[in-house]
Parts: sequence; structure tokens; C-alpha cells
Amino acid sequence: MQNKNGKMIFIFLLPVLILFSAFFIYPLAYVIATSFSKWNGFTAPQFVGFDNYKYLFSDENFRLSLRNNIVWAGVLGFIQVPLACIMAMILARRPKGWKFLRTVYFLPNVISQVALAMMWTAIYNAQNGVLNALLTFVGLGHLTNNWLGNMDTAFAAVIFQQVFYIGYFMIVILASRLSIPDSYYEAAELDGANILQQEFHITIPMLKPILITTITLALAYGMRHFESTFLMTGGGPAHSTSVMGIMLYTDMQALRYGEGNAIGATLVIFGGATIGLIRYFLTKNSDN
Amino acid sequence: MASKVVKEKKRLGFLGTFFKWFYLIFFLCITLLPLIWLFITSFKTNLEFETASAFSLPKVWQFGNYVKAISMSGLPRLFLNSIIVAVFATALNLIVSAMGAFAIAREKFKLNNLLLSVIMSGVLIPIIALMVPYFRLIKNLFLIDNLGGLILVYSAINLPISVYLIHGFMSTIPKELEEAAVIDGCTFSQRFTKVIFPLSQAGLATAGVLMFIYCWNEFTYAMLLTNSERARTLQLGIRYFKSQFVVDYTSMLAAIVITMIPTILVYVFMHDQIIGGMTNGAVKG
Repeated sequence: MQNKNGKMIFIFLLPVLILFSAFFIYPLAYVIATSFSKWNGFTAPQFVGFDNYKYLFSDENFRLSLRNNIVWAGVLGFIQVPLACIMAMILARRPKGWKFLRTVYFLPNVISQVALAMMWTAIYNAQNGVLNALLTFVGLGHLTNNWLGNMDTAFAAVIFQQVFYIGYFMIVILASRLSIPDSYYEAAELDGANILQQEFHITIPMLKPILITTITLALAYGMRHFESTFLMTGGGPAHSTSVMGIMLYTDMQALRYGEGNAIGATLVIFGGATIGLIRYFLTKNSDN
Repeated sequence: MASKVVKEKKRLGFLGTFFKWFYLIFFLCITLLPLIWLFITSFKTNLEFETASAFSLPKVWQFGNYVKAISMSGLPRLFLNSIIVAVFATALNLIVSAMGAFAIAREKFKLNNLLLSVIMSGVLIPIIALMVPYFRLIKNLFLIDNLGGLILVYSAINLPISVYLIHGFMSTIPKELEEAAVIDGCTFSQRFTKVIFPLSQAGLATAGVLMFIYCWNEFTYAMLLTNSERARTLQLGIRYFKSQFVVDYTSMLAAIVITMIPTILVYVFMHDQIIGGMTNGAVKG
């Protein structure tokens, strides 16, 4: 169909097309193309085939980072989302003060990762951090620890900092939960179903599409996790908290653009494939 | 309503009720207590911070920590930079998104749906994977260490979300309003400036608030694309406080509190809009 406003439509679309091409399409193509080359940013890139990828997957630190990203994805998708879902189920039954609680739980999402990370670094601090003070106070003084400086606890500590910030997923699931008509629950109530049965037989099946969406999003966030870890530990101690984003940043600072972009491409492709696969299985299961 | 609550309590039993309140209070504590601790500690002296109990209140509330935080660290300049970036990036992002969303939502042409899906698929791209190309692109535009570079990057990164939100809002405006305007002699651009844009204010406000919060809080690209105080934003600035405040830890905590205030204020006044926007943007997935 030919539209008489064709020229004007094009003019209105032009800015968004230019910016989108320049900041999404071109960079993606660029990352993938240069991931097959040796390149320091000054001389011309030199084609080296799959060398960067071979190097990456033989590098112990990269494999560790990849593993950590997978753990992040798992924790966000299969611990944080369920925690958020339980919260949405509770709030949807409108307990006293639920609107206020909803607002508070979402609050961390409007505070910067920098501020949150610096706050938690102070909390985890070995000398005068409040976590150690709390442990001593309740008589568990023998558990005090340099939480972010100890290889055995650093990874758990950075995950703990994020996993209870359920606000975003909670809001999304809650909106969907509130759109289920009350009459469904009233009917189940009359049939003698208790609250747990109602949640299992009405809420969860009805929320399946939104749960699949939030889990997919959570997995994507896990694969691209970068900021809070970078800010709290920089990937240390001894790479124990490292993730792919941190390795990419390190490579870039060292002018190893080829290797860096191979990590970027892995992030895009591997991340996309994992997410697609899990989404496929979740969707398939929900059809049965 | 009251009778329903009573009924639920009965059905839930003692254990269920206990679990429910435990859950609600646990999350309330983990969300608020660290922030409250930070706030209280930012009023202590360094000696108190190091020697007194972590749970004690300050003997004398040290408002001086805040004065020091502001005067020592170049905070006003950082604050100004952050505001400039957030305001201009939000404006640019909204204008570009609104124009694009208008064309897609209010006109029929061959590529409507394809274009919308392609732009929206942008949310699936991990932006941190694009560090190198963004850096090179901004460098080639001579915008490294320039607020303009950050403005451009932030407004582009958020196009998918903004286009989605604004497009969703614009599609709900009745066609008749525009038809009437066309009969009155409105041109294509006038339909946008005089009819659809003003009617989309609520949608634009939601997208704008989310965009503002994003810009204010963004860290990674602020770090990559600036290298001096000239273009440093607040989030990046407080990272450097660590070294500036080696001997004055509680003033650093005061500085962190100051950086949190603007977005918390925006949230307090506009939380319905923010939460509404979040849900509009995600429910359809």
C-alpha cells in the first residue's frame, strides 16, 4: 500500500533509524566482525580466524567468568524470580499496608548501583562493617569475616547483595496477578480450596506467560551482569567473582580489542542461545 | 473487604499467617535497614565510626560531614554535570522516540510491524558487550570526555524502551481526533505537534521519568567515555571519593547519601507513574 504521507513518515522515522543503526545494528556487526581479528585499536585489524575464541575457551579465568555468569543467570532466574513471585502472591491479597510495602520493595531500583555497592562494601567491611557487628551481637562472633576479601565468601557476598532486590520482577508479576479476576478465587474458595491450593491451581497456571518472560529477562540480566560486581570487588579476589563483562573491560583497557570483542560476541551469542533454549523448554512444558 | 480479610486469615492458619508476615518484614528489613544504617552513620564522627558500636546513634549529629562532602569533592560540579546529561539525554530520547512512535503508531505503511519489532528487540542486546564499538564511535565523533557523548549514548541506549512505551500510549488515542484535525487543515507535522504529542503527555512523562532515573544512575559508560572532571558525572565522581576521603570515611558516606536524594525524591513524588510504566512495558513481554 502506497501512503501519501510517505515522505513525511520517512522524515519522522529518520532520527530513530539513524540512532538505532549507529548504536545497535552497527556495533553488533562490528563486535562480531572484529572478534575474528587481532587488533590493538591503532594498526589495522588482522584476520586470525577463530584464534581469539580458542584462546578464550582455553583460558581458565574466562571459563571461570563464564561459569560465574551462568551462576548469576541461574540465581536471578530461579531464585530471585520465585522470591518475587511469592511476594506478588502475598501482596495481591492486599495485606495491611500492601501499597506502601510495594513502594518500599521497589525503592532500591531507583538508587544507583554505585551507591548501593559502596553502601554494601561498608556493610561487608572486615574492621567496622555492620554485618560483622551484627554477627558478634547475636553471639556468632566466630563467623566474622572479610566478606569481600575472602575467596570463599566473595562470590556469595556479591550475589547476596543483589538477590533480595526483587522490586522490578515483583512489580511486573504483581501487575499480571492483579489482572486475574477475584471471582476465580471466590469460586475456588466455595469449593473448599485453601490458599495454597488456590495459588498452585489458579495463580501459577495463569501467571505462566509472565513468569516465562521474567525468567527470560532474569537470565539475560545474569549473563550480562557487570556493574555491582565490578564496583564491589572488581572481579577479585583471585578472579573468584569475575564475570565476562569484567574480562571484556580488562581486555579493552589493555588494548586487546580483538579478544575483548570475542568476549562481547560470546556474551551476545551464547547469552542469546541459552536464553532461547530455556525459554523454549519452559514454553514447551507449559503447553503440556 | 474486612470480612474477606478475616476469611483469609482463617484459611491461612497460624503457620501461613506467620510465614506471610515474616516474609513481608524480612524484605522490608533487607531493603530499608542498610539505607537507614548508611543515613545514621553518615552523621557520625570518624572516631565514633571506628570505635563505637555500629548500631549506636551519633552522640552529636555531625551535619558538618555534609558540608565537607560538598566542599571537598567538587560535588556541585558533578551534580551539575549529571543534571545536564540527564535533562538533555531525556529530551533528545523523548523527541526522537515520539517522532518515530508517531509514524509507526498513527500511519499504515509496509514496514510498521517489522520496524517496531526490530527496535524493540534492542532490549535483548547486552549493552555492555558493545563497550569497544561505543568507545570508538564516540572517539571518532570527538565526544570523548564531553557531556555530549554521554547524552548521545544514553538517549540511544534507551530508544527501544521509550519507543515501546510511547507507541503503546499513542496507539490508544482515538483516530477521530486526528481525522477532525485533518479536516480542519492540519498537515502531517501539525497532527504530531498539535494533536498527538500533547495528548501523549502521560506516556511521555512515564518514559521520561524512567529515562531520567537511568541517566542519573548510569555508571559503566560514564566511566568509559570520560576521563577528567570536566565531564564526570556524580556516579563516577563518588567512585573517586574513596581515594579523596581516605581519612574521612563518614563524609564519604554523606556524599553517597547526597547522590541518592534526587532519584529518591523523584520516586516519592512519581512512584505511581514509575510503577505503572514498568508494568506497561513488561506485561505484554
